[in-house]
Amino acid sequence: MLRFIIRRLLVILPMVLLVITIAYALIKLAPGNFYATERGLPEAVERNIRQKYGLDKSWYVQYGKTMWNIMRGDFGFSRKYQDQTVNEILWQAAPVSATLGLTAYLLALTLGLTFGTLAALRQNSALDYGSMAAAMLGISLPNFVLGPLLVLVFALTLFWLPPARWEWWVKIGSGGIPNPRFLLMPAVTLAALYTAYIARLTRSGMLEVLRKDYIRTARAKGLSERQVVIRHALRGGILPVVSFTGPALAFIVAGTVVVERVFAIPGLGNYFINAALNRDAPLLLGITAFVAILVLVFNLLVDIAYAFIDPRIRY
Amino acid sequence: MSQQPPSEIEKIPTRNPNESLDKAPTLAPPSTVAAQQKINTPEAIAADQLYGTAPPSNELWQETAGGQLEGTSLWRDAWRRLKKNKFAMLGLIVTGIIIVASLLGPTLLRIATKGTHTYDFIPQQGELVRAMPPSLNHPMGTDPQGRDMLARVLYGGQISLMVGLVSTFVSLLIGVAYGATAGYLGGRVDNLMMRIVDVLFAIPYMMLVIVLLALFEKSLVLLFAALGAISWLTMARIVRGQVLSLKNQEFVEAARSIGVPTWKIILRHLVPNTLGPVIVYATLTVPSVMLQEAFLSYLGLGVQAPRSSWGTLAAEGAQNIAIFPWLIIFPGIVMALTLFSLNFVGDGLRDALDPQMRKV
Repeated sequence: MLRFIIRRLLVILPMVLLVITIAYALIKLAPGNFYATERGLPEAVERNIRQKYGLDKSWYVQYGKTMWNIMRGDFGFSRKYQDQTVNEILWQAAPVSATLGLTAYLLALTLGLTFGTLAALRQNSALDYGSMAAAMLGISLPNFVLGPLLVLVFALTLFWLPPARWEWWVKIGSGGIPNPRFLLMPAVTLAALYTAYIARLTRSGMLEVLRKDYIRTARAKGLSERQVVIRHALRGGILPVVSFTGPALAFIVAGTVVVERVFAIPGLGNYFINAALNRDAPLLLGITAFVAILVLVFNLLVDIAYAFIDPRIRY
Repeated sequence: MSQQPPSEIEKIPTRNPNESLDKAPTLAPPSTVAAQQKINTPEAIAADQLYGTAPPSNELWQETAGGQLEGTSLWRDAWRRLKKNKFAMLGLIVTGIIIVASLLGPTLLRIATKGTHTYDFIPQQGELVRAMPPSLNHPMGTDPQGRDMLARVLYGGQISLMVGLVSTFVSLLIGVAYGATAGYLGGRVDNLMMRIVDVLFAIPYMMLVIVLLALFEKSLVLLFAALGAISWLTMARIVRGQVLSLKNQEFVEAARSIGVPTWKIILRHLVPNTLGPVIVYATLTVPSVMLQEAFLSYLGLGVQAPRSSWGTLAAEGAQNIAIFPWLIIFPGIVMALTLFSLNFVGDGLRDALDPQMRKV
């Protein structure tokens, strides 16, 4: 187990560097640059700018220098927001996105597991059909349609919730406890798709397991139905869900980009798109690296959790 | 039967549907029965693939009126099962209607209205250049430029469906070629190729696609390629698993013994036999790719104006949601309906064609 973890941790570093390199190569190959204006710059000014940012050096010198700085955790100053370093922007924006993503994640897990299990226990009942139809709708309704529709109903018609933006209830550092009124709609919008996926996975996983011999044994021993389900069936039934939680995080990261745009939330997503559109290389590389590390470490945690839930798996 | 390339399967004459025949008890070979009660743990799947205990369920036997056992092809049997699935059939019909409407609708609408209802027609009269609520003339209203929303939604359907189909095809080509090669060659090559897939699985692609589309000139071709390039991984895994279970069977050995070159064995003998799961997965890829296209278009990175796709229409609608709610409601409904139907068709096909596949 320990060897497995160490080996995986060793793989994560080159993979993060690979992702950063791809992003770096895309920026370098793409037309346009961050200092371009509509009227164009005098040649001397352009030369000075290129010199200042080291763009006059050969590509491998630039690449080497960028990578060396990134490995030391220094992404440099943003090209667009010139008075802020990338690390400062990450420090400001990451807690917002992380809070939103985490809330949606927990929401999806709780609702998905509950409804998936209930649907499996009462197979072919109204509850089963109802939740599976709702799940299908959740998979088919894009979050950028669901979000505005929620806004239309709950903010612009009923005036229950604010239509957009973000507030901290209690502020600690750059993060804190979010104001639930601002958090609710974005989190639900983001969670809908994954709730649906997890409910479907749980249902089919549980249906498989409930037919197994060891469940019959557990029932024959005289255990209460609750104990059979929670102690015995759920453990095997949620294995497909566990293996989905890894990819789900990567999707939720992408989902936050849209949801942050829908609800005008000042998180990483908006910075990310603007960084790409503005050719803001340091900021883009910074966010890419941050997310890549997050996703890869989380995948490792999922694999470790897998071994704990399923004792047949040995690394 | 399993050795037949798909073209011959279509040649099998269809028999008149017989009421008593449908209700007759179906005798299945033991492997199929086992396959239906299969265990869904990763190891079990791996074991199935490794030991070939999960071959494509090729044949079922049906009792004819005369009491004889008669073979029925996988495809005909699948179609029989699909027809029983009401949701899948409904999905198939709705999908068909939407496809036909998207293909023919814009042209018919242009002819019927003498060119005033097209995706890019902006009226000359100033008072018509505004967003009008749904009316008889404009069943879905107009957008702020006075363009007919029905025409834009139908045209957007063309683009969205095209992106879905072409990108799925791209992912199909890459995934099948990659998976079949890895599975057939086996050993170290297989190990290396699948490790690469594992590594790629862990990368947050959508970020790279966003970067790619934000940086380069936006074109449909780039969009097809980008979306196709990120959805082939699962396909490669599925095909590899199938090929692993097939490659030690006699017909492959026979082909090898008469000196058929490797690429031809893969192309002519192995790939046609993986078609069932591949079709099922491709059907489920189409809606997910369409969703991704809409997602990118919503961010302003996909299809560009004056062209419309469902994603761009929803994005325009979301901006004006308080004043012109019909701008998001109609594209949203049509898109959700399409994805809903496609997902049902995919689910139904999977249940009909390949009962062993995991339900996601």
